[in-house]
Parts: sequence; structure tokens; C-alpha cells
Amino acid sequence: MLEPRQVLTLQALVDTIIPEDDYPGGWESGVGDYLLRQLESDLRNCLTAYRDWLDALEIEAERVFRRPFASLDLESRTALLEAIEQGDIKSAWSVDRATFFAQIVEHCTEGFYADPGNGANRDGIAWAMVGFEVTA
Amino acid sequence: MSQYDVIVVGSGAGGGVTAAVLAEAGKSVLLLERGRELSTEAIGRDHLRNQRVSLYGHNAGPDIDGNPRTSDDGRVIRPHEPGYLNNAACLGSGTRVYAAQAWRYMPQDFRMASIYGVPEDSSLADWPISYDDLAPYYEKVEWELGVCGDDRTMYHLPKYKKPYPMPALPLPGKSRVHLKGLEALGWRGLRMPRLINSIPYNDRPACAYCQHCFGFGCPNDSKNGSHNTTIPRALRSGNCELRSQVMARELLTSDAGSVNGLSVVAADGTEEVITAGVVVLSCGAVETARLLLNSATRREPNGIGNNSDQVGRHLQGHYYPGASGLFPDEIYDGLGPGASIATCDFNHDNGDIIGGGMLTDSDVCTPIVVWKSQYPPDAPRWGIEAKRFMRENFRRINDINGPVHEIPHPDGRVTINSKVRDRYGIPVAHLSGTTHPETVRTASFIHERAREWLRASGAIKVWGAAPVLRLSGGQHQAGTCRMGEDPATSVVDKWCRVHSQDNLFVADASPHVTNGGFNPAETIMALAWRTAENIVNSW
Repeated sequence: MLEPRQVLTLQALVDTIIPEDDYPGGWESGVGDYLLRQLESDLRNCLTAYRDWLDALEIEAERVFRRPFASLDLESRTALLEAIEQGDIKSAWSVDRATFFAQIVEHCTEGFYADPGNGANRDGIAWAMVGFEVTA
Repeated sequence: MSQYDVIVVGSGAGGGVTAAVLAEAGKSVLLLERGRELSTEAIGRDHLRNQRVSLYGHNAGPDIDGNPRTSDDGRVIRPHEPGYLNNAACLGSGTRVYAAQAWRYMPQDFRMASIYGVPEDSSLADWPISYDDLAPYYEKVEWELGVCGDDRTMYHLPKYKKPYPMPALPLPGKSRVHLKGLEALGWRGLRMPRLINSIPYNDRPACAYCQHCFGFGCPNDSKNGSHNTTIPRALRSGNCELRSQVMARELLTSDAGSVNGLSVVAADGTEEVITAGVVVLSCGAVETARLLLNSATRREPNGIGNNSDQVGRHLQGHYYPGASGLFPDEIYDGLGPGASIATCDFNHDNGDIIGGGMLTDSDVCTPIVVWKSQYPPDAPRWGIEAKRFMRENFRRINDINGPVHEIPHPDGRVTINSKVRDRYGIPVAHLSGTTHPETVRTASFIHERAREWLRASGAIKVWGAAPVLRLSGGQHQAGTCRMGEDPATSVVDKWCRVHSQDNLFVADASPHVTNGGFNPAETIMALAWRTAENIVNSW
């Protein structure tokens, strides 16, 4: 599984992809639980890629901001991920590694918007946010 | 070795009707199903594992391990992966989790080659039967299984002899918006017929208008599928035995133009030979073809019914061209199942376009469906703006789409890949080819009509990908055991009997020569009813 330091990076990453506003951010709504469960089951083939990617993100944060990713504010984390998305990378990343971000985004959001039985969207908070009500 | 009058292989739309008609006529029937008997609770409401969004699996089977298929690009495909062309594997099959749209095909749909001519390289052909042959059986399905709708609005069909037994479902707010769009364009609209109880019927309650219809089981048993209509009827007759989690391995023949029965394997690996006077295949267009092709005999070394190399060819499904629109006001009011208004103005008579298709709006979309397939491609995908976009617009987005009548190509087909085996060691289905390019031209035409309808309904932004050439199949798979008079160009006759066998019939969408511009379930049921009634009458 992920190392504790990688989980800290993941938490900050999830809360950058789905930040807190009037409604909880991704981590509080359970996206972390969803991802950790998936990385042991359906997404176990992605585990190594996640570990490498989170480590690379820390190296990039150190190179650009001289600080751990999780200690950056939302604005800086967002700017760093936008740069990675656009290929503007200061440390040694492979192209595959940069495009893997799009997959992480999809994994996080599918947890957030799926049924609470999948581990995220705790108490149906994402459904309440968009106005999807289950009546029967 | 057990002995039955009839073995029906597969319990979906066709198998359920066949079992009911034959068992009620006094025949001893064995109904086999490869999947499980699933309660609605067991099917559940997993938004990532269903027939609509199958990122990691299926709530209604087949299991993702042990059931592979292969394709020309060398992939070994699991059931939830793109290109598998999955249909549900459980008692009732697709009818357990379908959206239950209950369409009759149009008279023109049976005469495509006569009306349009045959495009080069296409295997477009007429059916050997007509709308009039099927109309009495459509009516039986509508009354005996239970269809709601409004026959007076079915302007595209000959006048009904009997109305639907139940009124149409109420219109959700978004359908009223699209009705205004139709009026603005001068297009005609109709109320969508569904195999759903709009009022209590057959001792089961009326629809609760929930948000989990398409892709899930019904919470109050008001959606009519094989599992709660025809199969219980068959069982109540006392003449039908049901066995689930049993897979057909191979048909057995007498070598004299008739089948003796089949060999099967149970989930625990137990092998068995079961004999019967008649065998009916209702496995779906991919699996029915696979079973025939896996049943080689001395007289038919390439598979039963396949001496003319027709089994597995002309595989069709439906292209679903459409578009999404963003509306200035909230149009979603949560009333399920959703799509309620359709137009059949573009099924035929579209200038130089071959055929066409019905267009309707979409059923209730879960948030993940909107996120994955109705989200504007230029909207942010992550960060605070992506979250805000979903929050502000989930209730303002809707789709218009519909099934296009495919123009078949003979090389869009199912063959056998003996190098890859399923969990029972049975060679798997190999999928290859595409539909005919004319299908893409028709689908592109329908795609534009969907955009027009959205704009006329008041959408302020419209988007959607243009159709591209590919093989379709999936839940609407059809065509692989084509019906026809000539054994050189077809697999079954007009009674859906395999030409080379006295007592082997097909009762799913495999005999469909073409697949209409509509969801095929009611046609599968009507055709199965006609086939089963003929088996009884000629016993």
C-alpha cells in the first residue's frame, strides 16, 4: 500500500482536485477511502504508478516551492498541477507520468459522484450538492 | 441424462416468452440460465458497476473474470471493458435491468432492401415476414406482460387494434421542455411506451418514478421483465423447471437433421447431457452464434446451421447518436424513469439517407453519468470550477439521442477463438469487423437532428461527438442468425427454425434481418411468441 507520507501527499492532491467550498472537499467526503480501497482491488494495477506519481509530485513541489506539496496553500497546489498538466515540469517526469494526472482526476471524481456504497460521497453529500435526490 | 420436451437456453426477453408459451401449452420445459437469480437488493445501486456505467464490473453479470471475448486487435476483453458488447447474465437477462422501452418496429423496418436498395458491400435485406405477421404478437406482449403508453400518439404505425392496457407515464419537467422544442420545429411527438406498470397491473404496483430505472432492478417490482412476468407464468404451469448458473457447452445431434439435446456444465464444474425433443436458443446474438459455432458435427463441420457460412455474420446493435444541451433554467425534476417524449419523424423518408431512427430525451442520469458522458468537453475537469460547474448545471443538462437502424455488413461478425477459453474451457466469441459505412452516414444525420431539437428546446449550448465507424452490439445485439427463405443466405426460416435441423429454433434478436430504429425488446418478445406458438401448433 501507500507509505504514510504518500497518503499525506494524496490527501492534499485529492483536496486540490475536489477542493472544499460550501460543501466538503474530496478527502472529507471519503475520496481517500474510496481510492485506498480501489488501489487494493479494481485499481491494484495502478498502485505502483500512484506511488511513483506521488513521489514525483513531492520532488516537483520541492523544486518549485522548496516545500512539501501538502504544506502549500490551495492556490499554489492548483498552480503546480496546472503546470504539470501543461507539461511545464521542472524535475524529471516522463510524458506518461504527466498524463497519468488525468486518470487520477477521473478516479477521484468517480468516487466523489458515485453512490456512497463505493466509499466516498459520504452521506450523499455530492448528490445533495448537485441536486440528485433519491425518492424511492 | 434427463429428458424434456423442450430445452430453452437463456432466460432473457425471448427465452422467458418461449418458456411461458410452451409450458402453458403442456410441454415439459427446462429453462437454463448461465447467470444467477438476483434479487433487486443483490443487483443493488452501484453507480460504477451497471449496464450504463461499467467501469469496474456489472451488477447483473456476467462476472468480469472467466468470461472473456477477443477482438481483431488482439485484445482479450473482459465483460465490462469497451468492445465486449455485453448483455446482462442473470435470470431475466437484460430485462432485469433495462429501461423497458417497448417499441413495435415500423412496417418499413421489415422491408429495408426493397425500399432503399442494397448499398455496395452491405448485406441489407428484407425480413421474410412483415409487420402484419408480428402485430398480433406485439399486442399479446403489450397486454400479457404489461405495456403503458398512448396508442393514439403512435402516428408512425398502422392503427392499433387494441389500445395499451395502461396509460402513459406522467411527463417529467424536462420532457415538457422538449415537447415545446418539437412544437417549435413542427415535428411530431409521441408518448414513449414502456414495459412498466403506470397503474397496478398483473398484481404488481405502479411505478414509483424512482431515479434508478435504467441499469438497475425496480424497487417495487413495477418494471416488467422476464423474471416477474413470463418466467413465473412458466413455473406456475407446473411444466417448467428452471436451472440457473448452468452454461450450455455444445448441441448434440442425431446426425440426421435434428438435435437430441445439449451438454451443459454447472457452476461447480459438473458436466451433464440433457436430451429434449426441441431446443430453443435464446442466448443473445453473440452467445447463440457462439453455441452454434462451437457445435461442430460430421455433416456441419463449421458449426450447426453454418454450412453456408452465415452463422455469426451481420452482427448489429444500435448506434446511439445524440447530443447534450445546457439549459438556462433547471429542467431536471427527478421524476423517473425519464425519457417520455419521442419523435419518429426521422425513422424513414430522409432524402438520400438510408433508414433513420427514433429520437428521445434521456432517462434520469446519475451524477456520474453526467460527469462521464454529458459533461461539456471544454468545461474544467478538476478544481473548484469543476465542482462548481456540476453543482450549478447538473439539473440543467439533458441529452437527446436514439437508436439508429443499422445497415449491416457481412464482415461484422462473431467467430470462435479456440485459443482463448472461458472458465469452463469453452472457446470464446471473437468479434470482428464493423457495421456498414452507411450506418455512420445515417447516424450523422440523426446526430444533427438531435442538436436541432436541443436548440429548439431552448438549450444555450449544445455538444456531442460525431459518430465514427465501429462494430456495435451490446444490449441491442442482433442479426447473427439471419431469418430468410434461402439457406444459402440465412440461418433460420421464417419460423426461426434453423434450416438444417427439424427441431432447433432461435428466440432472441439473432434472427432479426435488420434491427429497426428502436429498442428491440418488444420485437424479440413478439417474435419469440410467434415462434413458440408455431412450435406448439406443429407439435
